[in-house]
This record gives sequence, C-alpha cells and structure tokens, in this order.
Amino acid sequence: MTKRVAILAALAIVAGPALAHHGWGSYDAAHPVTVAGPIVTSKFENPHVTVSVRGSDKTWTVTLAPTSRMVSRGASAAVVAVGKTISAYGYPSTAEKDEMRAERITVDGKTYEMR
Amino acid sequence: MNEHAPALFVALEASNFAAAIRQSLFLYPLANVGHILSLACFAAAVGVMDVRLIGGLSATAPARVIGRARRFAIAALCGLAVTGFMLFAAEASHVVLNPVFQVKMALIAVGIANVAIYELAARRVVEALPPGAPMPTRARLAGGFSLGLWLLVAACGRSIAYF
Repeated sequence: MTKRVAILAALAIVAGPALAHHGWGSYDAAHPVTVAGPIVTSKFENPHVTVSVRGSDKTWTVTLAPTSRMVSRGASAAVVAVGKTISAYGYPSTAEKDEMRAERITVDGKTYEMR
Repeated sequence: MNEHAPALFVALEASNFAAAIRQSLFLYPLANVGHILSLACFAAAVGVMDVRLIGGLSATAPARVIGRARRFAIAALCGLAVTGFMLFAAEASHVVLNPVFQVKMALIAVGIANVAIYELAARRVVEALPPGAPMPTRARLAGGFSLGLWLLVAACGRSIAYF
C-alpha cells in the first residue's frame, strides 16, 4: 500500500509539470488537424479560452490557452472575437466530440503559439 | 456548462462569483497557485504530526509538537478549502461529475473522519506522553493511515485534469 501510494505520488509529481494544466493525453497528436473559418462564439475565460469555429466540414470547439497566456502572447480577446477568421492547428479530442486543442492559431496573418 | 449535472452545480457555475473567477486574468491562476502553496503547508504540518504519531521525532514532547503543527494544518486546510472552492466553482458542472474528483472528496471525508476518531480515541493519551515514550498502537495506526490517505488525496487532485 505504502509503495503504491509512493508510486502514485511520484507519478503525480512527474506528470504535473510535464503536461502543464491539462493533459494532452486525451488529444490525438498523431492526427493533427487544421480548422479554418469564422469564429462563431468566443469565451475568453479561464481555465482555457474556447472558441467555436465554423470549419469546412463542421463546427469545431477549439480549446486555446489560459487567458493570461493569451494576453501575454498578444492574442487578446479582440484577436479571437466573434467574426474573426481563424486558422487553428492542433489535435482532435479523443474524449469530446468535435473538440480540438490548438497548438497554434493564425488570425489576420499573425501566428500565436498556445503552448 | 454540463446541463446533466445536478442543478445546484449548474447554478454555481452560472453564478456571478464563478463567472468572475473565469473572466478575471489573475483570479484563477491565483487560486491555482494558492491551492498548491496551501497543499505544501498542509503536507508539511500533517507530515510532522503523522511522523510523531508513527513514532518518529521521538525525543520531542508529543503534545507540544502536535499542538503546534495542528494550528498550521488547520490554517492550511482552510486555505485549501477556499482556493479549492474557487477552482471548483469555475467549472462546477463538469468537475462534480469527474470520477477522480468524486473519489478525492470521499477520501477527504475519510481523512476528516480519521482526525475525529483520533481526537476522540487517542489524543488525550498521546498528548500526556513524555518525550521518548512509545506510541500506542491506535496512534501509530491513525498516523500511518493519515499519511497515506492525504498523499492519495493530493494524487487525485492532480489527476482530475486527466479524466
């Protein structure tokens, strides 16, 4: 039992910083997608900013970075506002339907890294 | 928002309080950092108490060591509760359905029950002991159980994001 607890605790300590706030484990990094289209809804909120994007095939929920990181990288609320055209490169969720996690986004010719 | 969650948690997530935490640039990260710092203090205080109960630090007077550490543990637990509630409120309807979160809450209840049992059944005996005296079995059990349990709670907390 003590050993199991120690292993769990060690795992938690190691996995925490390596994977940042949320795991990228439930995103399929082997099959990246690029979703491009107009932003239909935008929630500039913690823990992650999310926008929905009307892509060519369907409307995607695109998960971006925490608000403070968005702002510090220059991707303010105005950059990802409703009506803007966005191109998001990232990984589709293996848990949530039509959701993807963006590695980087491009708006008005400017690229912003989300990690 | 997950509408399938119990109404109380849907309402909590929809509240102005929760919205303020999500929309502020610094409140959510502040709660996150505060939760970790509170956890570090809590683990330190509980570690001292539990090690003493298991029989370590045996040259010290149990009443004195445990009494001092208890104040820090209670303060840190309050910090954990406040910051934890902030983090929870922001995403209440999702988090409440998270299986690891549910396990974590159950383990916290067990941990607090363990404290209550210790306070009722062992505290008086333990705090009357002089330095160097052997610890009674029930105190060793309570200390060992507590140490393992709170580590598990911490592991669950970090794991919520991955389930």
